[in-house]
Amino acid sequence: MDCVDAIVIGSGPGGAFAAYGLRGKRVLVLDVGRDAPAGDRLSGNVYDLRRTRDDLFPQLIGEEFESLHNLYNRPISLKLKSPFMSFVVRDWRRLTPVVSKTFEGVISLAKGGLANAWGAGVYRFTDRDLRGFPISVEDLQPFYDELTSRIGVSGANDDLDPYFAHDDALLPPLALSPLFSDLLARYAQARADFVRERTFLGRPRLAVLTQPWNGRSAYQYENLEFFQPHIPAIYTPAYTIDQLRSEGAITYLSGRLVERFHERDGQVRVYARNLDTGEAEVWCGRKLCIAAGTLNTARIVLQSAAEYDKRLPLLDNPMACIPFISLGRIGAGLAANDSSLAQLNWIVDDLDSGETIQGTLYGATGPLRSDVLFTLPLSFRANLTLLKHVAPAAGLLMLFYPGIETPQSYVRLRSSGELEVEFAQTGGNPAIERKIMRLLRRIGYLSHPALIDRPGMGQALHYAGALPMRAAPGPFQTHADGRLSGTAHVHIVDGACFSRLPSKNLTFTIMANALRIGRRLARELS
Amino acid sequence: MSAAVPSLDEEALYLHRSLFGGTPDPVTIERYAAAHRKLFPSDTGSPLLARMVSRGLDVEAVEFALRRRGAGSELTRRIQILSYLVEARARYQHYFVSIEPDRGTAVLELAAAVIRSSWKFAKGEYLVRRHGLR
Repeated sequence: MDCVDAIVIGSGPGGAFAAYGLRGKRVLVLDVGRDAPAGDRLSGNVYDLRRTRDDLFPQLIGEEFESLHNLYNRPISLKLKSPFMSFVVRDWRRLTPVVSKTFEGVISLAKGGLANAWGAGVYRFTDRDLRGFPISVEDLQPFYDELTSRIGVSGANDDLDPYFAHDDALLPPLALSPLFSDLLARYAQARADFVRERTFLGRPRLAVLTQPWNGRSAYQYENLEFFQPHIPAIYTPAYTIDQLRSEGAITYLSGRLVERFHERDGQVRVYARNLDTGEAEVWCGRKLCIAAGTLNTARIVLQSAAEYDKRLPLLDNPMACIPFISLGRIGAGLAANDSSLAQLNWIVDDLDSGETIQGTLYGATGPLRSDVLFTLPLSFRANLTLLKHVAPAAGLLMLFYPGIETPQSYVRLRSSGELEVEFAQTGGNPAIERKIMRLLRRIGYLSHPALIDRPGMGQALHYAGALPMRAAPGPFQTHADGRLSGTAHVHIVDGACFSRLPSKNLTFTIMANALRIGRRLARELS
Repeated sequence: MSAAVPSLDEEALYLHRSLFGGTPDPVTIERYAAAHRKLFPSDTGSPLLARMVSRGLDVEAVEFALRRRGAGSELTRRIQILSYLVEARARYQHYFVSIEPDRGTAVLELAAAVIRSSWKFAKGEYLVRRHGLR
């Protein structure tokens, strides 16, 4: 059997950058690889299009009524259900079934993974974030730097530097919408009050281009993030996979669902199902990098060990969504630079827990109004009026808490092949949320505790920690180089190998860690 | 005697007339029916809506009153489907989006919306009790 240097399973942030790090070697990427559908895509500002094109049903609602998903299914993120975005979560329940009483998340089998619909937040972990990891910032720093210059990261060095790390390679930040420009100015005026509460605001670090970069164009403020995949300015790992394919650096096979692996004679055999033919396939590599997404990575590892009793730990960020409004901006109308991307970040440095809590602030003009119409308290037509005039004045603070490891949060493979996923229902910290609302009020923005929404566990889509890196790993744990304990050539390169989950979005660190491990393996293979 | 269950086309017509005024174009009616056939194939029609159609009741008022009671989800769902369908059409954008800044108009319209909502709630409560809707 022909044996490649390395097999990479998955094409999300971990798979793409493990493959990137292995450039120069014979690399085979196996992936289910669902891709965005062809069709008449939108081009231009979404609100100009909505006014000038008579009928946007195919793009906004879909011939299969994709945008009505949440009317007849367990609700998913509004970003994952429109006709051109729904490919991100297509087929996962059928191909990778999950049974759960508490899990409210999704799995992606798309080329590029869930990062096709991400918020593009790219945050370096600090040593504080890496507590419990057997690696430090020094190990990741060169890879963060390389990624920053490779994919282009916009942002600013500001009050959040101690939490995000100073970075001289940032592209200029995105233009703020008027609402958040006003909010940031008011923060600057009241900064002393915020600092006293160890609370800070600043610009997000985004994998979104504000100037042309490496062949991709700058962001155009079209506010299409809920409806349009593969906006060139917004990075997705699918771009790296496509680039590696076009360079001939990898062989990419989609339509492959990997089921298990087996080590023999210094090689790794990978057993996959060809989803087009239904046939079983066996592939051989000298190294294996698993980046199928934390849940499916756990599935492959447990299936390979024929282990049906073991409960692996599972982490996700508990969330609280805090809406707020500026009364002064009611009736302000839409702005030319409105977007659905993150506008600001909010950090609460919580001395009690020793953790930082991170929030991301978004505008409210991106989704369809019909998505939220009946969450408002008035009659139908009155709600429409409310949304029409209040949306430009409203924002949403999505607050992420660190993941908490508990015996009630786990993933287990059943002998039937279903993955059992359960999460302990961990609440937020009402004291922190009250503090945030008090500070918002201090600068003229209103909110109320009754308006706080707490999405179910799994909805943060930041799954991690099933096969954690440890200095001295035991069974179903990994070494500092991602190598799975008890194996010689199998490496975990996605969020599954995270030792803990801070409140920061983990995607950038998945990329950096996968690149670190990929490079190391490339050296070993030499 | 129970009212005849309206067809999906008749439902779309009635909801649209009651909520937006006027007759929807055939494409909207067709999509409304297709959405139900595809997403809710076992839904054979709404007895609640049948009674409302036969008696010409105010959809917005009844839906609001029932929603406040935690009831009438089938009616709410039908309105939401129609809302999605028309939101994708240019001619309905003035219901959903305010492009130009006009604070004075916004404040007046919001005040009117609150009054409208209160009126619809009172009317809906009356209709629900008067006609025994649930």
